Amino acid sequence: MKKDDRERIVAPEHTVRADKYPLDDYTAVGKRVRRKDGYEKASGYAVYASDIQIPGMLHQKILTCPYPNARIAAIDTTRAEALPGVRAVLRYDDPELPPKADLSGHFGQAGQPHEPVLDRCGYWQGMPMGVAVAADTEEIAREALKLVRIEWEARPFNLDPVEALKAGAPLTNPESYPDGNFLLPFMHEKKVTHGDADKGFREAEQTIEFGMRRDQDTWVGPERPCGIFRWNGEYPEVWLKHQRPHLAKRQLAQFFKVGMSQVTVHCPYQGGSFGGWSQMALNMQPNVIAGILSKRTGRPVRWQFSRREDFCGAGMDNARYRVKVGFKNNGEITALHATSWFSREGLSHTDHFVENSKVINIIQESNGAICNIFTGWAIRCEQNMNCYCFSAVMNHVAEALKMDPTELALINDGCEGHAMADIAEWKRKRGFEDRDSLRECIKAGKKAMDWDAKWHLPGMKKLPSGRMHGLGMSWAHEWGDSGGSAAIGIRIERDDGTARVLGLRCDNGVCAETAYCQIAADELGFRYEDVEYRPFEEAGFAPMTPDSSTNLAVNGWAIRNAARRLKQKILEVASLPRVTERPEMGYIPPFEGYRPEDLDVRESRVFVKKDPSKSISMAELVRPAFFMGKMDVGSTEPLFAWGWQNQQGAYDISGPPGPRPIFVRQAHFVEVEVDPETGGIEVTRVTNANDVGKAVNPDAVEGQQYGGSVMGVSRVRTEEVVYCPATGVVLNGNLIDYKINTMLDCGLIDTIIVETAMGYGPYGSVGIGEDVASVVPFAFYAAVHNAIGKWVDLPATPDKVLKALGKVQEAK
Amino acid sequence: MKNFGHVNAATLEEAVSALRRYGNRAAVIAGGTDLLGKMKDEVLPAYPEALINIKTIPGLDFIRYEGGTLSIGALTRLEDIATNDAVRNGHAALAEAAHRTASTHLREMGTIGGNICQDIRCWYYRNPQNRFPCLRKGGGRCYAIDGDNRYHSIFGGSVEKGCYAVHPSDTAPALVALDATITTTRRAIRAEDFFQVSAAKTTVLEDDEIVSRIDLPPLVGKSAFVKFALRKAIDFPIVNCAAAIGLSRGKVRSARICLNAVHVKPYRAVKAEEAIIGKAIDEAGVESSAAAAVAGAKPMSHNAYMVPIAKAMVKRALLGCK
Repeated sequence: MKKDDRERIVAPEHTVRADKYPLDDYTAVGKRVRRKDGYEKASGYAVYASDIQIPGMLHQKILTCPYPNARIAAIDTTRAEALPGVRAVLRYDDPELPPKADLSGHFGQAGQPHEPVLDRCGYWQGMPMGVAVAADTEEIAREALKLVRIEWEARPFNLDPVEALKAGAPLTNPESYPDGNFLLPFMHEKKVTHGDADKGFREAEQTIEFGMRRDQDTWVGPERPCGIFRWNGEYPEVWLKHQRPHLAKRQLAQFFKVGMSQVTVHCPYQGGSFGGWSQMALNMQPNVIAGILSKRTGRPVRWQFSRREDFCGAGMDNARYRVKVGFKNNGEITALHATSWFSREGLSHTDHFVENSKVINIIQESNGAICNIFTGWAIRCEQNMNCYCFSAVMNHVAEALKMDPTELALINDGCEGHAMADIAEWKRKRGFEDRDSLRECIKAGKKAMDWDAKWHLPGMKKLPSGRMHGLGMSWAHEWGDSGGSAAIGIRIERDDGTARVLGLRCDNGVCAETAYCQIAADELGFRYEDVEYRPFEEAGFAPMTPDSSTNLAVNGWAIRNAARRLKQKILEVASLPRVTERPEMGYIPPFEGYRPEDLDVRESRVFVKKDPSKSISMAELVRPAFFMGKMDVGSTEPLFAWGWQNQQGAYDISGPPGPRPIFVRQAHFVEVEVDPETGGIEVTRVTNANDVGKAVNPDAVEGQQYGGSVMGVSRVRTEEVVYCPATGVVLNGNLIDYKINTMLDCGLIDTIIVETAMGYGPYGSVGIGEDVASVVPFAFYAAVHNAIGKWVDLPATPDKVLKALGKVQEAK
Repeated sequence: MKNFGHVNAATLEEAVSALRRYGNRAAVIAGGTDLLGKMKDEVLPAYPEALINIKTIPGLDFIRYEGGTLSIGALTRLEDIATNDAVRNGHAALAEAAHRTASTHLREMGTIGGNICQDIRCWYYRNPQNRFPCLRKGGGRCYAIDGDNRYHSIFGGSVEKGCYAVHPSDTAPALVALDATITTTRRAIRAEDFFQVSAAKTTVLEDDEIVSRIDLPPLVGKSAFVKFALRKAIDFPIVNCAAAIGLSRGKVRSARICLNAVHVKPYRAVKAEEAIIGKAIDEAGVESSAAAAVAGAKPMSHNAYMVPIAKAMVKRALLGCK
């Protein structure tokens, strides 16, 4: 941490200080409660955007580019327009279309200029472009697209970032990048320096260099992207499958030049979403087109991608790296120079050294290329490059020193260049316990998988089955604090006194809405059963966008703030005389003569602190409402409160310092058996030890650990988008050929929860949603190396393993 | 998916008659796990006008042992074969092959007849909207030759010297190794003659011909099936292998070994069979047999890795017969 960084802290103080929970015990938080959405989802009653049917709706399909880099030279849509059942055809040259529009749901993407709504050119095979059709059925819309006559100008393409950046390489996007295929990285400079790398290398006692690469993995959600657009006169009404519905609402309002208050957005359940389509530059394209076609036809327009179209949503990590590391013989890393070549994204790859190590001397270079692969955006978490680089450095250094990587981790653990011991005082002053999070995680994880008995030097353990045994470990801080804002309301039902949380549907991750109810219940003093998260469908009260990066850490504060305000209001109302014109109806103010501070709420009952026998239920407090005649007239005023939270992001290498150092850590361990005859890798165990600060919902934490383990193994074991080298066409855009692993491929999964309360969320909690799926992959990477003694690029498919073992020659 | 006609056949004769009525514009459907997916994914440029449903034909769903001969009706579901104790004991390779096919859900739908008649999985052929008008779609070339052929043939192309797509079935090599006879509405064919690849087909079946039953002779000895795939829950094989071995005094007296997913049709490894005859099933014996199995391999640009895997599969199938 730079000396003046601490003066730059601008975040609310409660996100910087340790959280002091006001109650002595938890009745809902931290308990294994019945999921609020469990029955709905398990029974099939839960409604997703795909389920919505609107009377009279049309079906929209958009042409996809058959080439990786092509321009429409000429087009004739006559036959498509004449096909019975076709109601409207929209072409790239339609006069209503602006030259470019902001179609992203994640504004301000560097290197992603505003896009044409329907581009005349396609820059990857599968890009939606050129023509859109609205027809009576999806089949007719598909047929109509086949009837469009197009003269294509197919152009040279490039799939590889290193090749694309070579002098004389064909232009991959001549319209937007006429001067070359160079792309600036996202959110940071091409070259970033931190500390004094030259000095660090001079201090090093050993230096190693290595290269590594990852091929593109992609995003495919259970629910294919979809939406419905209907104009109710001059008011748009939209059903979205979208992680950022509030931003989507803004984009639609801007595009159609209406006020946001004129737009109604419904956001039903969406299950896992994992980034991807909802954030990439073009993601609002189908919704905008549906809006145009709906207006022209006067009918609702529905769109939904096919699974193959969905595959071109967003991918990640088509990147190569060259890394140089300097270190001392005791394992202390003194300098790092890491260079990347990437396609279409280029998020930072050395942030983690700043955020959770003592390594202070860093050079990060990023060489971005526009390639003709589908667009890059954070899927399953943008920290993947950071995790890969960080874990690779730690494990390569451990290999060079013949050191147990868990020991190397503890030697290098730190924070913004400081050893953890150096910031003990900082923690103490702000009320944190001085716990060693990484040490606790490593200790628990090693014990669970019997690491000390099993660990060996790379390539040294052959099992009786003939397989090679390997153990790998990777660690990181958690990074749920990427910042965001949330607004949530809570309303008390007028007749029975139960509480209803008002927030946009927040269905992402496991038990998210349940966790919010747990917080609300404890903060209000209600029974958990008396609090429900029933979505307030309009995107007005927008919790931290359900994008799974920072949900609980931000929304948890918002709901806690709302609940505290509401509880205060309840106590005030309970102690005030009721104003009524009909005292003869027998209404007796419940706590007349008491002050709010004399009262409290537990088990959904208001009571006098000094005499708990004086109590009434919430239902008795609020009384029935809206009756006429000689009925109860003792109702309270409406009981409602809102809360919000505006949270700063964490430190990264090129941005401003975050509000506070990150103390919380996680350690992941993977055990594999590699078959030297087939190159097959069997994962036999994944052990996750996550310090989550405070597990608000333990089922959610474990769910993230299970899901993240499978996803994490999958993305480096077998997942890879395969492009035809000769044509640039995606070959495996389906769930058979794109190899997503299942539980059976991950062996035993351990879920260890460590709680140090050193997080920035309520009760000292931190997020876990993205972490496991991003750190586990590189424990796998290390485990494969530990098994065979060779580093294998990712995904570590059998062809690569056999090649590393010298059993297969280079492809001709 | 487009609308299509649907004929519920009450007898095989009715089904054949319907097929003749539609010429080559109809397709037979049983479990439908391959056909419907292919239609939904727009794999083919043109779609059948009608599906002839044979699930409605009684008497084609059975597993019987008579005099040691195993007879299986064409409509028998893969899961029923996989879990049948008699098959597991008598013709273990077939039970295991059925068990390793697809996923539980698909095995509950898919039939043995459909499994041996399924189409190829080549990702050029299955790319939608005729993006690759390959040999099988009436085009002039196989795109895998210059493309990504990591899952294609390591033993050369088809009889037309073009298509390098492999046969994806798990049960097919077991049937070849177990010397099954496949009975159709026209004839009885030995399994190894059934999978003859032509430009548009993976079997010798005529357009109006339907598989009705499969018979496996008594097995003297042991059989085994092994499969290498990337995922456990569901996957087509990268390589699989079935072996049926007769032993006499610890030496191999008879051997039938069949690899699949390595060639355009199930690849009977005759040289591997010859190499193991007269030898014991031990490390040296299976090693030489496996080496013989892949001696003639001619991998393409991206699939040389399949050769050591094929070798390992032969070894393990033989060891499974020990």
